[in-house]
Amino acid sequence: MRYMAASGDVQTHFRDVLTQLAGFALLLTTRRAMPSVCPGPLDSAAGRAAEALEMLHALRPPSEAAHHFHHLAAAGDALGRSVGVAYGCLTAASDDGERDEFMRALRAATDHLRTTARLLPGFELVDLRQACCAAHAPPALSCTAASGQSVFNGE
Amino acid sequence: MAEYSIWVLEYAAVEKFPLSVMLYGPQHQGTRKLPYAYVLLKGHGETILIDTGYDHVNYGKTLAESYGVSNYHGPAEVLAECGVRPEDVTAVLITHAHFDHMGSIDQFPKAKFYVQKRELEKWAWALSLGGEYRFLVGGADPGDIMKAAEAAREGRMVLIDGDQEDVLPGIDVHLAADTHTYGSMYVSVRNDGARQSSDTWIFAGDLIYTYDNLTGLDPDAPQIIPIGLAVGSQTNLIFSSAAMLKEVGGETRRVIPIHENRLPTTFPSRLTSANLQVVEIALASGGDSRVA
Repeated sequence: MRYMAASGDVQTHFRDVLTQLAGFALLLTTRRAMPSVCPGPLDSAAGRAAEALEMLHALRPPSEAAHHFHHLAAAGDALGRSVGVAYGCLTAASDDGERDEFMRALRAATDHLRTTARLLPGFELVDLRQACCAAHAPPALSCTAASGQSVFNGE
Repeated sequence: MAEYSIWVLEYAAVEKFPLSVMLYGPQHQGTRKLPYAYVLLKGHGETILIDTGYDHVNYGKTLAESYGVSNYHGPAEVLAECGVRPEDVTAVLITHAHFDHMGSIDQFPKAKFYVQKRELEKWAWALSLGGEYRFLVGGADPGDIMKAAEAAREGRMVLIDGDQEDVLPGIDVHLAADTHTYGSMYVSVRNDGARQSSDTWIFAGDLIYTYDNLTGLDPDAPQIIPIGLAVGSQTNLIFSSAAMLKEVGGETRRVIPIHENRLPTTFPSRLTSANLQVVEIALASGGDSRVA
């Protein structure tokens, strides 16, 4: 349970970073002139990513969470790379290769975070708690955990 | 003479959805079925969707268990009811960037996507604000934004800046800024092809959820009542509803709310073996009915 709560915090941080970087990616791919994209959101994403990576390194996953931790760590690695490459994309000298690398790293982060969300429901990438077209009910996570069953899907 | 065949295709539903979210104001007024649907148009050599549905692979289980969404069926199965495959789709008009409208971009590998520039840029801005502002991006999935960015990288994302006529033959789009979302748009299909059309259909996205948004609940005192969620303002929602009504000369049934459970009784329809509604809004000249 301790790992579940702590890794959930990491996942939430990673989701926020991914969210910010996805917005940046969208601007990058839909605008011709990059100077209009200010680095503020990137700085914010970088700070949050660094914080999340520290939290990740402090995690002590139990054996049944090894698969989850593997994907969470891979997501962190990919997000870290994404942030680094994103700054390069801001410069006038950036080229298609850098942008492709940024998109690839971000895609990898997205896929790993999707997997962690599937393995540990309740930490989806989209915050459905505020979604307007859903009939909201108490989260299933607490019920599942309280039942004493494994909370990790596919474990 | 109609130029497009048009169907509203249900792909999932919330069986008990609070009326107070569909129609702002009346609390404790019970629930209605809220179908999830997209619109298919065939004509002019094009196969067009309005919205894509959501990403079931990633969210189906969660949506079913925690958010009351049931009976999901993927686009291959749903479109087959009208003889269409996902790879046949040539264009997708995205009314707004919520997960149930823009969540399946990757299912349509040959389509071009049309979305309001304001919708994506304002989402990108809101996404950049950080976690404490996450209400502003509720219902938007960063994974979907990534898919949009990837489609843009492939040259398949067309950003529309405001109102635009003939985005596709006989099809106009209209920006409804700062309403349900920052850059929601509604779609007008002039199905006789005329500029001053007498056969216009409007597809409202989530600017309305039900015909009752256009009429209110009291037939003796009609009024426009907005839906429950406006990231922009409900004033803007009311005036966008008025603009849609004006465009069809006040004929309410021509403003199609895809979440409206009464579409199957308003238009010809049939229930599929998967318990999904196929609603036939119009049939092109010489076209085959899919509900007969």
